[in-house]
Order: sequence, then C-alpha cells, then structure tokens
Amino acid sequence: MASSHPPTSNSNIPDYEYLDVNTKPFHVGSFRNEWLNRLKPSDYSYQRDDDDTFDANFMKEMGVGAETMAELKSICRQRKKRQDHRANQKMSKNRHDLYADELERLIVGRKPESTADIIPEGEIVLTINVYYPITSERINTSRPHMSLLMTGSHSLAELRDAICCVSDLQVCGEFSNTPDLAPDFISKDLFKSSFFFFEGVFYNDMRFPECQDISKTTIEWAKARNYPAFTQAKMEDTRFMDLTIKVGFPYLYCHQGDCEHLVIITDIRLAHKSDCLDKKLYPLLIRKDRLLTQKCTVCHLFIGRWFTTNDQYAPSDPCLFCDKCFRALHYDAAGNKLGEFLAYPYVDQGAFN
Amino acid sequence: MPRFQSVYCDFFYTPLTEDVEQLLARFQQTDSVRYEVFSAVWREMGFSDVFHGVTRVGELKRFCRVTLATALKYFLPPYSYQIRVGGLYLMFAFYHTQLAAPPVKIRVPLRDWAQVQKFLKDSVDSGHMDVLYIYQKLVSIKAIHYTAMPHFLSFQKQRKPKKEPVCADFIGRTTAIQELTSSDMLEELTNIQNQYEKLKQATAEVSSQVNMTHRDLSTRLQKCMSEFLTWQQKTYSGNQKNKKSGDDDEEEEEEEEETPAEASSSRARLLSSIKQKSYKNVQEASKSRRHRQAEAVESSSSGPEHVQEAAQQKKRPVSLRARTTKNLPMTDENITQIWHLSAPDEQAMIRKRSFN
Repeated sequence: MASSHPPTSNSNIPDYEYLDVNTKPFHVGSFRNEWLNRLKPSDYSYQRDDDDTFDANFMKEMGVGAETMAELKSICRQRKKRQDHRANQKMSKNRHDLYADELERLIVGRKPESTADIIPEGEIVLTINVYYPITSERINTSRPHMSLLMTGSHSLAELRDAICCVSDLQVCGEFSNTPDLAPDFISKDLFKSSFFFFEGVFYNDMRFPECQDISKTTIEWAKARNYPAFTQAKMEDTRFMDLTIKVGFPYLYCHQGDCEHLVIITDIRLAHKSDCLDKKLYPLLIRKDRLLTQKCTVCHLFIGRWFTTNDQYAPSDPCLFCDKCFRALHYDAAGNKLGEFLAYPYVDQGAFN
Repeated sequence: MPRFQSVYCDFFYTPLTEDVEQLLARFQQTDSVRYEVFSAVWREMGFSDVFHGVTRVGELKRFCRVTLATALKYFLPPYSYQIRVGGLYLMFAFYHTQLAAPPVKIRVPLRDWAQVQKFLKDSVDSGHMDVLYIYQKLVSIKAIHYTAMPHFLSFQKQRKPKKEPVCADFIGRTTAIQELTSSDMLEELTNIQNQYEKLKQATAEVSSQVNMTHRDLSTRLQKCMSEFLTWQQKTYSGNQKNKKSGDDDEEEEEEEEETPAEASSSRARLLSSIKQKSYKNVQEASKSRRHRQAEAVESSSSGPEHVQEAAQQKKRPVSLRARTTKNLPMTDENITQIWHLSAPDEQAMIRKRSFN
C-alpha cells in the first residue's frame, strides 16, 4: 500500500465536525455502499458458521497446517462461564429498568413469519431520538421522549406516523353543553400537515388532501431576508437512504402548526443478526419515557379527562376531573347541565404510557 | 420526574482506563504477542471481575459498551504493534466475559477500517497466526457492528472537554525513517543525482548557469535521517536503559559492553523484531526469552510509573498502617475490619491481596 499519496477526504466516510458532538453531513446510501465495498458478504450476513467450518476455512485461507490449527484452537478456547447461575438472579427492582428491559427482550432476534418481511442483509439501521416539545420549563430537554429504530428503506412518512405526541390528541373547543360530542374533533384528524427539516430541506407530508404546505411561510421569510435558499420535498417519497444528514445533529419535526420536536439521529450502522429482523415491526420503539400522569381531584384514581374553569362546584380554578366524577358532579341523572362552568377535554401528557 | 440519578459508568471510566493500562503494561513487559501470554496476565489480574457489581441492567449494558470502546481505542493507532495486539485480545476477552445478555457488540466505525486492514496485513506478513485467528473468530461470531461513528452522538456539548493523556510508553515509534533507510531509495537518489550532473556537464552552455538540485542532497539527507534515528532511540529507550543496569545475566554483559546509545536501542530492536517473529518459531524462543526477561525486570530500580507498579508490587512504600503495626505491638484479634465502599484505598488493596 503506497504510503506516500495523501489520503483523499472521502465525504462518504463520516467524520466529526465537532469532536464528540456531531458529524459532517454525509449521504446515507453512499455510506452503506462504502461499507459493503469493504466487507465480504459473510461478514454481515445473518448466518453464523459453526466452529468446525470456521476452522476449516481459516486453515484454507491462511495455509496453516492441521497441527498448528489444533494448537491455535486449544489456546484460544474460552473458559466456560462458571457464574452461569448469577445471570438468573433477580437483577433489580427498578420499575424503569424493568420496562426498558421488557422492550428489549421483545425486540431481540425477532424473526418474521414470512421470509418476504425479513430485513435484507446489508441494510442500514438508524437510531433516532425524538425529544419533547418545549411547552413548559419542567420539560427536561436532554432526555429523549422516545427512541426509535428505522431502516434505510423506510420513508419519512412512516417515522412521522410513529411519533406520538399528546398535542395530536388535543380537542379544541368548549364542551360543557355537549360533553358527549367531544371525541369527534381530534386534532390529529383535523390538522394533518407536518414537516421534517433536514439540512436545509423541508420534507412535507402531502399524503392527504387536507395537508397544506406549512413550510412555505418559512421559506418565503428566509428568501426575503437573504438567508441561503431552502428547498422542499415530499415526506412520503423520501427514504432514509436518500438523505444527506449529520449524525448527532438536531433537526426539526413540526406538526399541528406550532408543536415542534427536536429529532436527533444518534447512530447509523449495518443490520445485524441479533436485531429484530421483522420489517413489519419497524419503526421499532426501543425506549419510551414514562411521564407522571395527573389524576382526578376527586377520586385520585383515574386520569383526568376534563378540565374546568369558572366552575362554582370545583375546589380550585382550573380543576381536573375524570370522566365519572365530572359527570356525577356537573350533570344530573338526565344529563342536564347544572350550574355555570366551562369544560374542556383534557389529554394528559402521560397518555401514551 | 425525580432527580437525575448518577450514572455508574460515568464515574468508573477513568479507573477502568487505569486498570486496562496496567494490564497492557504487563503485557508489554512480556515482550510477546502470543494470546496465551495475554490470557495468563488476564487470569492473574482476575480481570473478569470488572463486570461484577453493576446492579441495574441498563447500567450494565452501558458499562459493557464502555469496556469494548476502551479496548477498541487501544486496537487503533497511534499505539505500537504490541499494544494494538493487546487491544485486540482485550476486545475478545471483554466480549466473552461480559455479563450482558444478549451480548453488547463491538462498534467499528468506517473511518478506522483502513487502519484495521493494515494491521491485519502486517500480522499476515509477520506470520502471527493467533492474532489473525482471534480477529477472524470475532468476525465470524458476529461480534462486530459496522457503524458510522464509534459512540452514540446526541449533541451533548462537554462543559470541560476531557483531554485523555495517551500513555507515552504505548505509542508506536514511527518507523517511517527506518523504512526509508532500509529501502534502496537513497542509492537511487545518488544515482539519479550523478546522472543529472553528467548530463549537465555534457551540455556545456547550461552547466554553469542552471542548478536544479543541491549537490550534496543525498549525503545531507542521510545525515538528517541518522540524527533522527539516534534522537528517537535516545529519547524513547533512555528510560528503558536504567532497567537493565546492575545485572549479572548474559544478556546484560553483552549490553554493558555496547555504547549507551546502542544499549538503549536494544529495546527498540526487540520491538521491531517481534514483528518478524513468526508463530511456530516462537515456541522455543519465547520461553527462554521470557525467563531472561523476567530476571531483568525483577532487579530494575527505576523506570516509568506504570511499569514500576506492574513489576514490583512488593517494593511499594510501606503504608502508615503497616508501619504502625510494626512499631506498636498489636495482635490480630484487635484489628477491626473497615470495609470501604468507595474507590479502594491502599489499605483495602493490601488486605484484598492478602486474602487472595
């Protein structure tokens, strides 16, 4: 190998832009090709040779005699684990660990029922962290709301569908007079527009006729103020393989007009035998933050579903009620409204637990 | 959400690095790249115990990632060949002794792949079969994740960027100059220079006016190279020289006759000769060498801190507790045992050693 020629900087090989913080932008599909060019198919396949086949192959490749082989094997064999029983001990009583562990156990090594659904060897797997929207100071910005695994062949629209945010479930409007009509007006069905923003390109969701291009305003604003031009693309047509992104750099997901989430891609790698190999299960949730839920002021048992203000019956203003207590307090047996109050349907932040 | 719980592996990365450097220093001392030597050092230090004591499963997985990343660090340049082999063996050992199930994989980023391939090529050329066997075994049991970057990145800016001091003894000496001297490039250079001069003489009108090269280029180049080589040997092998003083061994006698510069280069020569040792031949040679080397080590009086600690456990300064028990008459029944739960201090270390 000639050591004299200077190493050409290949932009498809990821490298740090800022050390330990994020990388320079690179194209995901080209990165995958770089790896596949350097590896033998057996390196990244899901099949594993048993020991004898491995030894035979090694002997053939290296031209090693049988005696040397036997010596190598005896030297490099692993001691059997004496502490096998320790693995069965109860590790911890920590509730969060148990939930996280359960998610992991469900994921590892899942194979699909039909071979058509298996993730092909050499496929890219991305780990994506989605963070909370900044709605209050109590939100911890450094802790991700959820972590997902996606493959390179999935589209951005599938990622969008997998992100659960409580603002999607909000119901707008005052419903003290018609408490039974509330569930018909979920925001997710009304306001379907959303976009992702990666590296200067807005990827809009245009799947439904109600979707509007909400990135247009930002693009026009930027043009008027002499910023570098942003472009647009369709979310459902773009796969992860086609993106040029930086690893570890925050990007944006915006929906409901003003609910903005940070999205960070933390890791990109080739698919492995011990990953979940069922394509249908992706986007795969590997970590989900559980939030404390607010309970009803009356019974402290059920999660609050109604939010009242200016209520003469309520101990505080505003006040939270579960469905049963709300109806018991504010409506008579026939369903008529008693007294003056304003009621709004409330979606708790821990609704996805 | 309640207060942020402290992360176990954040606290224990530095001590792990210290322990790993101790292990690698011992391995480096044996002057061998054989796996059996490494596993003997590992077993002697009881290194599998690093994974014990982590209660939470999430923490255990994170810690396993940290150990494998540490081992990978020593597998890549700028470390010397022997340390890199130690890093490879360390990765193999950590992967098999980790307690996480399913096992955490080794993350190899794309940008380091060229270095890995070069390392393997060197091993093939030198005939180190066990190095290759271990590596191929890791690949075949699918212990490697082929990733973009070595760690997970989530845009966390470090308040105080931690600069890790690279252990100076582990770094490989640049062999570029030696390779240049060994290649015939200088001869070619002189030949071309002479040819050029001859041609110049032939064309009379040009000869006096134009001069494209320095006349004594090759001699000056040679002088620079030899200066660099002597400096390199003096600086990096100077501290090794002290180890070998005052010994009656055969090896020592030979060295004492040599000039100091040459004596200090014996270690550099040893290291470069390791590269040439093939697997089969080492069976006899290493045993005898090991025997002699062990003697040389035991009698050393000075040297870098790591090596000193590894070589002489007995010659540490006597602790206050030991001095007190020696000076004051105390019986064993009166001594109460104080168990320290934090990072081990000297007393706990000594007590632990006496139980083992």
